[in-house]
Amino acid sequence: MDKILAKKDYPHWLKKLKSYRIYAPRKKDDVWNYEIITASDGDCLEEVMTAVPAKGIVFPQREFFFEFGETDDNGTRITELLPEDKSVVVFGVRPCEGRAVTLTDDVFGGEFEDPYYWKRRNATTLVGLSCVDPPSPNCFCLSVGGSPHSKEGLDLLLTDLGETYYAEALTKKGKKLVLEGQKLFTDPKPEDRKMVDKIQADSRKKIRRELSRIDNVPAKLRGMFDSSFWDDESMSCIRCGICTYLCPTCHCFDMTDEVETSSPLSGKRVRTWDTCQFPDFTMHSSGHNPRPDKASRLRQRINHKFQYFVEIWKKYQCTGCGRCISLCPVGIDIIKVVEKVRDHGA
Amino acid sequence: MGHNVYLPKPAKILEIKEEVGGVRPIKTFRTAFVDGAGFSYRCGQCAMLSVFGKGEVMISISSSPLVKDYLQFSILKTGRVTTALHEMEAGDIIGIRGPYGNGFPLEEWKGKRIVFAGGGIGLAPLWGLVHMTLGNKEDYGPLTLIYGARTSKDIVFREELDELKKKMNVHLSIDVAESGWNEFVGFVAQNVLDKKPSPQNTIAITCGPPIMIKTVIKALKDLKFEDGQIYTTVENKMKCGIGKCGRCNIGRHYVCKDGPVYSWAELKNLPQEY
Amino acid sequence: MVNIDDLKAEAKRVLKERKVKYIIGYERASDTWKANPVFLRLPEDVDKLVWDPTCFHNLVRFLVDEKRRKAKEKPPDPRPVGIVAKGCDSRAIVVLLQEKFFDRMDVFVLGVSCESTGVIDERKLAKKTAGKNVRKVEFGEKQNFVVETDDGMMEIAAPEILADRCLGCIVNVPVISDHLLGDKTQRTVAHPFQSVEKMESLSGDDKWSFWKDQLKKCIRCYACRSACPMCYCEECVVDTINFAVTADTSAEEKAQRIKWLEKSSVDSENVFYHLVRAIHLAGRCIDCGECERACPVNIPLRMLNKKLEKEAKELFGYDVGFDADQPALISCFRDGDPEDFIR
Repeated sequence: MDKILAKKDYPHWLKKLKSYRIYAPRKKDDVWNYEIITASDGDCLEEVMTAVPAKGIVFPQREFFFEFGETDDNGTRITELLPEDKSVVVFGVRPCEGRAVTLTDDVFGGEFEDPYYWKRRNATTLVGLSCVDPPSPNCFCLSVGGSPHSKEGLDLLLTDLGETYYAEALTKKGKKLVLEGQKLFTDPKPEDRKMVDKIQADSRKKIRRELSRIDNVPAKLRGMFDSSFWDDESMSCIRCGICTYLCPTCHCFDMTDEVETSSPLSGKRVRTWDTCQFPDFTMHSSGHNPRPDKASRLRQRINHKFQYFVEIWKKYQCTGCGRCISLCPVGIDIIKVVEKVRDHGA
Repeated sequence: MGHNVYLPKPAKILEIKEEVGGVRPIKTFRTAFVDGAGFSYRCGQCAMLSVFGKGEVMISISSSPLVKDYLQFSILKTGRVTTALHEMEAGDIIGIRGPYGNGFPLEEWKGKRIVFAGGGIGLAPLWGLVHMTLGNKEDYGPLTLIYGARTSKDIVFREELDELKKKMNVHLSIDVAESGWNEFVGFVAQNVLDKKPSPQNTIAITCGPPIMIKTVIKALKDLKFEDGQIYTTVENKMKCGIGKCGRCNIGRHYVCKDGPVYSWAELKNLPQEY
Repeated sequence: MVNIDDLKAEAKRVLKERKVKYIIGYERASDTWKANPVFLRLPEDVDKLVWDPTCFHNLVRFLVDEKRRKAKEKPPDPRPVGIVAKGCDSRAIVVLLQEKFFDRMDVFVLGVSCESTGVIDERKLAKKTAGKNVRKVEFGEKQNFVVETDDGMMEIAAPEILADRCLGCIVNVPVISDHLLGDKTQRTVAHPFQSVEKMESLSGDDKWSFWKDQLKKCIRCYACRSACPMCYCEECVVDTINFAVTADTSAEEKAQRIKWLEKSSVDSENVFYHLVRAIHLAGRCIDCGECERACPVNIPLRMLNKKLEKEAKELFGYDVGFDADQPALISCFRDGDPEDFIR
């Protein structure tokens, strides 16, 4: 279902979304992030790359699993703490983040469905904003199967036509959101669609960076496991974890028991983000660590994204958003590392 | 939605037995769910045990699935959660969720001779298997257990091993000679070479500390066992137990979900990162 | 002007004479305007070296890695590691020497003076160029920067994109070096702690609400800790497990390790983490700014540390990171030190 929304009507649309918690990119202290907004904050949608990607809404930094407590009769009470019943809509999602959510869907689905992730996911409507210009100098979505106007993972895709948004409803949730806007949406004219096609074709040409010819990379990585290549590449890594925390496809987490009272015992089991880049991530209680150094941890990150994930899901675990490149304090560049893998020994 | 995969069920500790004392103690716990429910699982699978307020650990179920009255876990005291478990008493409540992992491919082993080679606490993941195969003796060829520990005090399931000797071949060893010890003295791998199990129509499974596994696999290969005839279980740090937290992977495999049972043929093709 | 050829020549000399294991310096990676850390092992590698206001990283952080690496060397190589160090970075080396983290002979310092400039703040530059892709940044003739973007050239007055810490810096010349390049005239600044005065003037409630608001953004990535050369503890307050585990470490020891804070990003834990880190850096932080630079959500971490640097000066007359023979702040006292807080 394709519709047109005048940009000036965007705040009016937000006003009608009374039953939703609304997120949109907001700038605070020179950093963009998805924040909860009210209808009066909805001036316009900026095409920006937030620091924390949209994954933070369906997979937050911290969430509760259950509450545990000692009962009077020395028993134990376990109470499930699912996310609340609240519809959420996220505006301004980059298409690469939409694609990334399909990858986390793969991980959190399957044989053991993660109820917390899915409760949030099913209640969340992702409204993408097509990239007219690449929001980051390090974008390379085209190289990993994406595009500045990819629809994957999104419920609704808006394209900025100047005075209006071209809205493409892609799922039931997307359609529902448009219908909430009632008469604000009008039918598009043929020239609107032509403009969308032109903008989308042009946007592809504006992507600055490329990671090309990487079909051989999974096989190359398999052969490079013991190579000293990883020692050299990881020399300047300070294992800060930013590359993985802010990656829209990364999903590693920790589970801890946060005790609130010790007698009687009560507390919550909590999930928090974690990263394979921290030294204690794989450390056994005995002190044995399968990944004891930065080289093996960098190798794990690259291998997971460009070999293991491919072997399981036939897709790269990277959507080319470029955050890891832009935010790495020492300039480790995943494009350059993978290019070196591709050309290794050649 | 159905059952929440992260939610443990309360289980009562029925009985605790001290297997090994000293600085590296091992205790065997027999547990049963508070609501009396059963738990169907395959030999070699594990469960996540929760000590609420401390955390969770993945422990292999050391009772065989033939036993319906309890779930048995033999646990080495090594860190925060296992120390808390060791401080518990019969009647205390823990949480259990599972079963997880792939289990031993018993169907494929029917009609074969089986050699179990374990070291230290490594007998625990094998224990259920030993009893499962013994309970279905007619399905398998002769069963042999080659098990060793550092000292005679570190041997687990001591009394049960004496009983077991009446039903199958059991060869014990300790690393260094002790007075009163008249069985093999040396490492488990050396005992394997000494007892020379034939590779003819045989499956060998080994569990124990990483170094022991490496030496036993080498010994078995020296005895002309094929890679596909050698099995082991792998251990890695785990949190979710269901292949999502990203921690326990060896290459594309998550040990909690795709393992912990691997044949050497499979394991040698995975990145040697465990 | 620091002559880059002089820097390269000295680096080449020490590598050729095998006087150092390797040199930590700055290079310009292709397709980027900023410098990146580089590790030079061979004399011919020195051609990669650059030195300009895009060299904002504190390379001393890698000396911490080197110590860990050295512990595993077989056989141990007694040679020092070379490092290109600016004024602020050199103070970090001094603090590590004061704390006996390594010996003076473990490091060969190629000191470079910032002269009258300093280094660029990436975020200030991004704001000035309004998100346009930057291709090159050069220091121009007229005390300004000439910036080339995809859309053309821009001239920006230096103070507008120089790092805030550089604007108030008196350590433009390294305080310790084995070889010193560039103008040795030290700058003077009237109010070195001016940046904290505004915060100091706020009421207690306003300060608390400011910091709670800022620390709410923290995602607990610990990049600030990872970037800091002085955060070298093998086992940190935030680590819930022991790192220094050997075959002899008892289960009790591991079990009894106190969990000082949770991993969750919530007000209580975030405030605790950042305040504890700031206190642990009192008298040790030399304002290299790496923590704030690394922070992906722009928490003004320098302000916390700067305040404690000011207190070290005002309460104890202590200048952080100038004299390697001076003991660490918290390991010494003077007879006249304030005692009014002791009751």
